[in-house]
Amino acid sequence: MLALTFHRSIPSFAIVKAAGGRPDVATSALSMLKLGDVSEPVLPAGWVRVMPTLSGICGSDLAAIGGHASLYLDPLTSYPFVPGHEVVGTLDDGSRVVVEPALGCKVRGIEPPCPRCAEGRPGLCYNVTEGPIEVGLQTGYCADTGGGWGEVLVAHPSQLHPVPSTLSDEAAVLIEPLACCVHAALRGGATKNDVVVVSGAGTIGLLTIAAIKLFTPPRRLIAIAKHPTQRDLARKLGADQVVAPADVFQRVRFATAARRLEGMNRSLLLGGADITFECVGSADSLNDTVRFTREGGTVVAVGMPGEEKVDWAPIWQRELTVMGAYAYGAEAKKKGKRTFELALEAAPELHLDELTGPYFGLGEYRDAIAYAMSAGRLGAVKVCFDLRGLRA
Amino acid sequence: MPRPGAVIEVDRNTPPVLFHFGEGMRLERLPLGSRIVYPPDPLDPIAHPERAIKRALAKPLEDDPLKSLLRSGMKLTIAFDDLSLPLPPMAAPDVRQLVMEEVIDMAAEAGVEDLHIIAALGLHRRMTEDEIRHIVGERIFSTFWPDRLYQHDGEDPENNVYIGKTSEGEDVTLHRRAAESDLVVYVNLTLVPMDGGHKSMATGLASYRGIRAHHNVKTLLASRSYMNPPDSALHHSCMRQGQLIEDTVRVFHIETTVNNHAFPAIANFMQKRETDWTAQDQAMFLGMKQMTDLAPPAFKRNIFHAMRAPYGLTSVHAGQVDAVHDKTLEAVRAQLSVRVEGQTDIVTIGVPYLGPYNVNAPMNPVLVVCMGIGYLFNFYRNKPVLRKGGVLILTHPCRYEFDAVQHPSYIDFYDEVLADTTDPLEIEKKYELRFAEDPWFRQLYRKSHAYHGAHPFYAWYWAAHGMEHAGDIIIVGGDRDVVHRLGFKCATTLDDAFEMAEQTVGRYPSVTHMRMPPILLADVEA
Amino acid sequence: MTWYSGEGGAVRLAGTVRGFVDDVSQVRRAWHWDTPRPRTWPERGAVVPAPASDLGWARQEPVRSLRYLIQHALLIPFTEVMAHPKVEGREWVRELERPVIFAANHSSHADTSLILHALTDRARDRTVVAAAADYWFKRPMLGNLVSLFLNTFPFSRTGGAQAQLHSSSVLLKSGWNLVLFPEGSRSPDGRIQEFKPGVGHLANETGTPVVPVHIRGAYQIMPRGQKLPLPGPARVRIGMPMAPELKEGSREFTARVEKAVRALAAEPRQTGIQGTWIERWRAGKPREPKYQG
Repeated sequence: MLALTFHRSIPSFAIVKAAGGRPDVATSALSMLKLGDVSEPVLPAGWVRVMPTLSGICGSDLAAIGGHASLYLDPLTSYPFVPGHEVVGTLDDGSRVVVEPALGCKVRGIEPPCPRCAEGRPGLCYNVTEGPIEVGLQTGYCADTGGGWGEVLVAHPSQLHPVPSTLSDEAAVLIEPLACCVHAALRGGATKNDVVVVSGAGTIGLLTIAAIKLFTPPRRLIAIAKHPTQRDLARKLGADQVVAPADVFQRVRFATAARRLEGMNRSLLLGGADITFECVGSADSLNDTVRFTREGGTVVAVGMPGEEKVDWAPIWQRELTVMGAYAYGAEAKKKGKRTFELALEAAPELHLDELTGPYFGLGEYRDAIAYAMSAGRLGAVKVCFDLRGLRA
Repeated sequence: MPRPGAVIEVDRNTPPVLFHFGEGMRLERLPLGSRIVYPPDPLDPIAHPERAIKRALAKPLEDDPLKSLLRSGMKLTIAFDDLSLPLPPMAAPDVRQLVMEEVIDMAAEAGVEDLHIIAALGLHRRMTEDEIRHIVGERIFSTFWPDRLYQHDGEDPENNVYIGKTSEGEDVTLHRRAAESDLVVYVNLTLVPMDGGHKSMATGLASYRGIRAHHNVKTLLASRSYMNPPDSALHHSCMRQGQLIEDTVRVFHIETTVNNHAFPAIANFMQKRETDWTAQDQAMFLGMKQMTDLAPPAFKRNIFHAMRAPYGLTSVHAGQVDAVHDKTLEAVRAQLSVRVEGQTDIVTIGVPYLGPYNVNAPMNPVLVVCMGIGYLFNFYRNKPVLRKGGVLILTHPCRYEFDAVQHPSYIDFYDEVLADTTDPLEIEKKYELRFAEDPWFRQLYRKSHAYHGAHPFYAWYWAAHGMEHAGDIIIVGGDRDVVHRLGFKCATTLDDAFEMAEQTVGRYPSVTHMRMPPILLADVEA
Repeated sequence: MTWYSGEGGAVRLAGTVRGFVDDVSQVRRAWHWDTPRPRTWPERGAVVPAPASDLGWARQEPVRSLRYLIQHALLIPFTEVMAHPKVEGREWVRELERPVIFAANHSSHADTSLILHALTDRARDRTVVAAAADYWFKRPMLGNLVSLFLNTFPFSRTGGAQAQLHSSSVLLKSGWNLVLFPEGSRSPDGRIQEFKPGVGHLANETGTPVVPVHIRGAYQIMPRGQKLPLPGPARVRIGMPMAPELKEGSREFTARVEKAVRALAAEPRQTGIQGTWIERWRAGKPREPKYQG
């Protein structure tokens, strides 16, 4: 089958890293990403084959390709793997499904499940080395499952969610990121008295805005967006106010009637936003975030951060609660309903298909990756691989 | 004898006319037949200011000589106008310094131990030490600063007292020290007819509560114009407040006026009519124009804000407020009035680098509106030079630049309020209180050098009458995004602006250019 | 014979030079010139005061004009940059009619510059500074140079009162203001030390008023033992001139002056020591009106 594979190679990593993750180098022949004919993944007993139709390019994929990803994730991954975990595909019987990529105890067939999986948080499973497949947190980071950027992947039936006929493939490809954001919004748990800031307006930022608006509507929702398209979409998805990164302190100060002090390098607010969702993962954004979130407030890290230099003094002095929001599972706050089901229910009214595109074939992966790396600037949100052509 | 103001009709031989353009200038040719209104030349200043001041204090109008009011053991307070007047700041010595030194001399002679001096700044920003020193002079500053010479604070809960309500229900508040004094001597400088009189005390020493009573859209729309106190609801309201203040505390009012010699020798060409420009003036203009075209804004600003005006004292009166103010207004009108016949379809005005609220700071877009449509448009009596529904054309670069120290609330006003609406009534209803009560703005006003949270609203209300009167407002040379945010139209050149204006006022419109500053007061006849 | 055979001149010369350098660096390393010496070592100047020279040359033209230039070109700008001193009560010294003694606290070498900076040109031109004879005038070059800059004169802090005070009183009588640090030496920790009675004695003797001066911040700029000044803010506060009362002894008057200087150190203005506003206002009156028609 035709697939893009990601190989673990230290010289390639060094070359890509030295080039600063430039797309032309990160997709060159010397890079870790190769396009080629590989053998189909072996089907473990009780699993099914899924033929991806659309498969999104996620920020974490780009980080891995560009050499920015945290090395923390390296031992949690098995190589070579086929990337792609935002997948909508068809089964052999032709029915449309989205894949919930987390590879927890249930998927790996481990009885009894580990305590986290029992809680319904397969993303935190500690048995990710066990079972019939190799080590890996998710489909798309595991050598044995295949991934969305290939013709075929294998999945455990518990990973599959049927796509209702009202939802197009273009919208369904965003169910996986939306589920992440629903999970983040529920973790943040804003109430209607809170001022909430969402920093960043890429896919995760925009979907977080939508999820917050739907599941935990706050008093005021402020989005920080850099590019014009992002600003429009943020407003459309429910942000009360969209501000440019440079004006953040001015705007948040006003919205919360806080006090603003000027430091040598950055401002800080006395008071500020109650809950901040950090959807960029860069040092700049993180450092601002911990300075404009109010004392005793909450910072939710949604976007995948790497190894960033963050000043911890504000976190310490303001007694901030910093929480990660990774993946999905079953939501205790919604009576144990699965995050994917919540996302699938919410999706139709969000018109998610406006966020996807442009689409590239696997053969055009160099352009696709380059385009995705500067998506915001180019006015795109979710760049996808379109694999429908492979089966025609 | 200085020449009176004049209205000149543009013909083939008329040189192009100067437009102020923020920290820069433009030379524009107006269509044939346009009128240019020039301010009168500066009146001759009084030769011996000290003697005139002594005389005024010894023979006040409808009041006893100051000397007889002073006695040992009394509580005496001197209040003076802040740095929003005069513009540009006066070359040392400031008139207020000369007057205050005379008053203090008398107080020292009478042995008045308990003397305080208060800068009556209302809701304006606190001044820096150097700015106060410039106004009061070194001797007063070193003797009284900081324990006996200080600045009014309109948000201080301790030091503002509520005096009562006027017959129209306006709240009146006063600085506690002034209210508890046996005598308040107010030292005023009246540059334009809006200043002075009862407005001095009623706004200068009042809190937000008192100033709100007349600084609102309703009052300002009823003021036609506030440059002409008899027709101004704003001044009627201040007068009612002032009378209540006079009932509470003994006030001895001293008002001074200066001529309109607003520009120092290096910028003499700005002072002169273009027809009078000598070769030297033309060279000066060329040099200055090149400099302002090329230099970065911050550099230009430093040069312009360092200019000090060689104003000369033209009158000084002391005594009872109303009696003094009548005389003062006469003196101001003698300097500023120009007879203009009839209204025109289009009025053009160049907005300069400086307004009352941006001394030592950039003029931000909100202040451009306040200055151009609020102040400059309103320099008329009887009726505006612009006909109802005509087009007002201003020239200003209108950059998005704010001084974070002086104008913090202006940034939020521009970004939050103007993004929502530009209608003064709606703005007042929806937003004013929120800004006025914002704790951070309050703190910056009280402790830093920031204008009050409600001040940008007042700046905007000031322009309410002009915006209502004009059919269209075009800003030539402005930043497109900024001008659109302000709710106006933007043009690159003056000719484009005339063409745009024709769509509103019809073809072959009549044009009047108000050549300000130096300021003039158009006396419009039917 | 080749040049490197060891017998020629070049190699010998190199050997000599190297030997010399070695010697010098050995000596250089053997003693540390900047380590403090024990105080028990007798300082010769203190025991036998140098024959009194009152440095009359420093108070005559053209030295005065030269000093004016030096002060305006170097001393005052330097002080301004280093300390940006805030001066309060300058009105007391603006128009001095008769000579006075400035009695200030002493915590640093910067004190003198700060006081001179605080005075008006007119007063500064007629002011001499009392400098410790056993410290500044131990080395004649240094003493004369400092004199040229600051108009100092040698003032003995050890010798007999009568003889030494005589030269000071002569100066006062001939119209010079005198800057005196009654503590006698710089304070070791920045706090004000006890005043020595010389100042009261001098005032009593000559009937000269004493102007209390307090300097804050000089200790941070250049404390005792520090070689170079560091920039820092300073405040000079000048009090109302005080004269000895009838029948007041020099010690009592000194105590009163000391109290006044200590009071000036306190934060709020004190009418008793700094004068009421009326007194200050009168003192600040310009001699001739500035504006004439």
